Amino acid sequence: MNRARPSTPDTPDTPGVPATPATPATPPTPAATRRLRALAAFPFVLTLIGYLTLLTVWDDRIPDTLATHFSGADGGRADGFTGRTAFTVISVALLLGLGTGWTALVRRTALWGAWATAGFAGALLVLLVRDNLDAVDPARVVSPLTDLALGATVATLCALAGWALTRLVPAGEGADVPQGGPDAPRLALGPSEVAGWSRATTSRPLTVLAVLALVAVPVGLVVAPWPGALLALLGLVVGVPGLALARVRVTVDRRGVTVRPSFVSRPRVRVPLDEVAGASVRELDTAAVLADYGGWGYRVRADRTGVVLHSGEALVVRRGSGREFAVTVPDAHTAAALLNTLAERHGKV
Amino acid sequence: MLFRVDPASAVPLGDQIAACVRGALADGSAAPGERLPAARELADSLGVNVHTVLRGYQRLREEGLIELRRGRGALIVPGATAPDRARLVSRLREAAADARELGLTDEEFVELARTSLA
Repeated sequence: MNRARPSTPDTPDTPGVPATPATPATPPTPAATRRLRALAAFPFVLTLIGYLTLLTVWDDRIPDTLATHFSGADGGRADGFTGRTAFTVISVALLLGLGTGWTALVRRTALWGAWATAGFAGALLVLLVRDNLDAVDPARVVSPLTDLALGATVATLCALAGWALTRLVPAGEGADVPQGGPDAPRLALGPSEVAGWSRATTSRPLTVLAVLALVAVPVGLVVAPWPGALLALLGLVVGVPGLALARVRVTVDRRGVTVRPSFVSRPRVRVPLDEVAGASVRELDTAAVLADYGGWGYRVRADRTGVVLHSGEALVVRRGSGREFAVTVPDAHTAAALLNTLAERHGKV
Repeated sequence: MLFRVDPASAVPLGDQIAACVRGALADGSAAPGERLPAARELADSLGVNVHTVLRGYQRLREEGLIELRRGRGALIVPGATAPDRARLVSRLREAAADARELGLTDEEFVELARTSLA
């Protein structure tokens, strides 16, 4: 992997430049550790076992049809029903699905959420079955509002338990590890050499979505009856920024990092070289995108900003303020190496 | 794609820019069909004159490595053979430099190239 030093046959390297090899020192992919995952899965396993046990114990008291939806306005009277088998399958699948999701996406600081979710879901399911016990006519089943309050209480207690258990996971495990550092990638650059890195990156799903939204505008205005047709203008609200984000160009040069739409120079996001404290590469898989940025697009979080257009390599810039800026772009390693070198030369790192 | 130029080098800046694209294409860090940054933008980035960048792009176009489209910027030629072509051009340029070093005139070099085709 010689990407950081492309062969330039016409321009031999300036002699005397320390020959730093292109460091493949990509930091370890941030992923929850086995222990953290186990602690996230545990409440769901517990809930599932407890729930299945109760179902067995109550076997002959559970009616063939269960009231599963209740109207809030009518004093909690039942207005939706599910067969017993379907109910069992759906409820178990729900617990399994929530458990799998939390186990896959858990972060150290969110462990309490897994516990709260398991507690809330488990409590509501058990209370629902309890309300249905011995019911002759499912339409007469009543689920009092106190069920919700009880569920919330259980959820709170579980959240506290999960929060207390967080200390069993050492800080630094999971995705909360700061990236970059002295072993961050560098690029050998001669004293008089000037370098810039530029790369276009696109998101096909976002392009399709944005184009569809834009097409919907004239179609909606013509086809739909007034004044509802004005809703079609919402397509502009989705389509224009969507298209701007779907194709961006990422530039690293003497001014810092710039991300802007491919075809126009504004709007742009820039981290000036002054503010760059370090750069690194992070492999963002779907789970990491969801956990760290909550989705794709231009994402702003409490401690990080990201232009996250797809899964894969991302250039992660640590700012002097401690905030992070990330942009998913191929060949991010070269970009990070150049940025570190430029920032160092700028006298910041 | 990484562009690096050394204003202190004897090699013209435009040629250095062309060499960057050629090298990136040859080693796979730039892909066939990839769009190069607009000349003005790259010039801003590197702090060089826009005509310098255009000279480099023009050279790459003559070598058949990029397509220049008015208003649409520069595009590395699509097709799987582009990296090989970039390598071929690089080797040719090295050969030409060697020939100069040996004291061959341009005509003699071209004649030599023609002979090796036969």
